Amino acid sequence: MSEEIKAHITGVVFQIPTKKGDKVGAGDPVIVLESMKMEIPVEAPRAGVVREIRVQEGQTVQEGDTVAVLD
Amino acid sequence: MGMKDHADELARRRAKARQMGGDDAVARQHAAGKLTARERIDRLFDKDTFTEIGIHATHAGIAPDLAGRDTPADGVITGFGKVDGRLASVIAYDFTVMAGSMGRNAETKCNRAREIAYTKRVPMIWLIDSAGARIQEAIGSRWFAGSGVLFREESVFSGVVPQVAAMMGPGAAGTAYIPALADFVPMVKGTSNMALGGPPLVKAVVGEDITAEELGGSKIHTEISGVADLEVDDDEHCLRVIKEYLSYFPSHNQEPPPVIACDDPVDRRDDELLTMMPDSPRRAYDVKKVIRALVDHGRMLELKPGWAKNIVTALARLDGHPVGVVANQPMVLGGALDLDSADKAARFIMLCDAFGIPLVFLQDVPGFMVGRKVERAGIIRHGAKMLYAVSEATVPKLTVVMRKAYGAGYFVMCGRAYEPDLIVAWPTAEISVMGPEGGTNIVYRKEIAAAANPDEERARRVEDFRKLISPYIAAGAALIDDVIDPRDTRPTLIRALEMARTKRVDRPWRKHGVMPV
Repeated sequence: MSEEIKAHITGVVFQIPTKKGDKVGAGDPVIVLESMKMEIPVEAPRAGVVREIRVQEGQTVQEGDTVAVLD
Repeated sequence: MGMKDHADELARRRAKARQMGGDDAVARQHAAGKLTARERIDRLFDKDTFTEIGIHATHAGIAPDLAGRDTPADGVITGFGKVDGRLASVIAYDFTVMAGSMGRNAETKCNRAREIAYTKRVPMIWLIDSAGARIQEAIGSRWFAGSGVLFREESVFSGVVPQVAAMMGPGAAGTAYIPALADFVPMVKGTSNMALGGPPLVKAVVGEDITAEELGGSKIHTEISGVADLEVDDDEHCLRVIKEYLSYFPSHNQEPPPVIACDDPVDRRDDELLTMMPDSPRRAYDVKKVIRALVDHGRMLELKPGWAKNIVTALARLDGHPVGVVANQPMVLGGALDLDSADKAARFIMLCDAFGIPLVFLQDVPGFMVGRKVERAGIIRHGAKMLYAVSEATVPKLTVVMRKAYGAGYFVMCGRAYEPDLIVAWPTAEISVMGPEGGTNIVYRKEIAAAANPDEERARRVEDFRKLISPYIAAGAALIDDVIDPRDTRPTLIRALEMARTKRVDRPWRKHGVMPV
C-alpha cells in the first residue's frame, strides 16, 4: 500500500537525502525543506521504500503538497 | 421504632447506595476497562479522608419512566477529602447509574460540592463519566430555563482555585463544557470521549455518521483540537496524573505554590548542555533534553505534549519551587510559532500567572509563521494572545535566549521589554528583528543587485549582518543582563528565582482588559 508524504510547512526544497528505491525507517528524513531560516525535515510516517520523489531541490512547496510517495 | 432500628435502617440505606447501579452494571463498567466512581475516589484521596455528601439523593420523581426505580446517589458521588495531605472537593459521575446522566438532584449535589471548593478555596476535581443531561428530567423549559449555573460558577472561580476535569468515560454536551472551562484535562485512552453533541445527535442534526472515538476520543482532543491536556493509559494512570498536576499548585490563588525539599544540587552544571545544540544555527535539536538538564531531577509534567508541538509547556521544579517552562521546540516546524502554539503558550502563561507559578522562557524561535495560510487563519489575532498573556503576567519571569530570538518571537517569549526579572543569553544567541539572510535581502537589495557578483556580495553582507546580532552587542547595550555558559543555566535560574520571590507589580485599576481572543 502506498502512502503520500506531504509537506507540513510551506518552504523551499533544500536537500533530498533519499532517492527512489531507498529503504527508510519511521521518522527518517525523506526530504529537507528550508523554511523560517531553518532546515526542516519531512519525515517518513512509517518504515517503507521510497517509490517516488515528486520535488526537486530549490522548488517551492506549499503546506499539504505531496513531496514523495512511500511504498 | 427505637434509635437502634433507625441506625440499622440508615446503614441499610447507605449500603444500598454504595452498591451503585448494581452488580451487573458494575461488572459492565469493569469489563469496559473502567473503575467505578467509588473506586476512583478511593484511589484519588488519601486513605480514610473522604467524606461523602448527598449519598441519599435519588431522582427527582418527575419523569414517569423513572417511577419506582432507584437511582443510588442519583448517579454522582460528591464530597471532600485529602489529596496528598491537602483538601479537595470532588464530583465523580457514576456511569453505572443511568449512565451518569446529570439529573436534577444530582446537580444539586454538584452545586454543593462546588460550593465547598469555591467558598473554602480548595481545588475542584471532576471525574467525568457521563452521558450528559438526563433528558427525562431536563426536558421542557420549566427547569431548563434556570439551569447552567455550573458553567458560570466555574468561570467565576477560574484562577481562584485549581480546577481539574478528568475525562474517564463519555462527556457530552453539558459534561463537555466542564472540561472546556477547567484548567487541566487528562483523557483516558480508549474509554473517554467528549463532544458537544454525541454521535446520535450528530446523525440526527447534520446527518453525519461518526463514532464517539472519531468525534471526540483522546487522540482527537490531545493531538488535533487541543481541548485536552494529556492522554493517559487507564484510570489508575489518570488519577496519578491528577495528583502530580496538583502537586505543583497552591490550594488557591492567595497561597504560594507548594515547595518540596530538593536534593538535586542547585549548582549542578550539566556538561551535556555544551553539545545538545548543533553547531549549525539552521539545524534542529530536542529542547526537552535541555529542559530536563535544567530542572530538578530532570522531571517535568508536560501539558498538551501532543498538540502544537512546536512549543513545549511544562510544569517542573527548580530547587523544589514549582516553575512553568515555556520553550520553543526547534524539532517541530523549526520552532516557528503558529496559531495553535500561540494559543497553547498563552493559556499556559495565564495558568501559571493565576496561581503564582514563576515562568521560565527558553528561547529559540525563528519568528512567527508567515504566508497566505496563516494570515487567513488569523495569526495576528492568535499571536496577540501570547503578547497579551506575557504582558499581563506579574509572576517572576526568567528568560534564557539560547539561540534564535527573532521578531515578535523574541517579544512573546518574554524579551527585555516584557519585564523579565532576569534575561540572559547563551553565546549562540541571535537577537534581531529579522534573520541575517532575510534582513540582508531587504536592507542591501540594491547593493546586491548592482554588484559584479551578487551571490558573493550577498554572502559578505550576511556575514556582516550576523556580527550585529551577537548577544555581546545586546549585552554591551546592557539590554541583556549577562551572557552565560549554558552549563551555568540551572544555577543562574535558581539564584534569579530566589531574587524574584518578593516581586511585586501593581497594575493600574481596570475592570479587566480586552483579551484578544
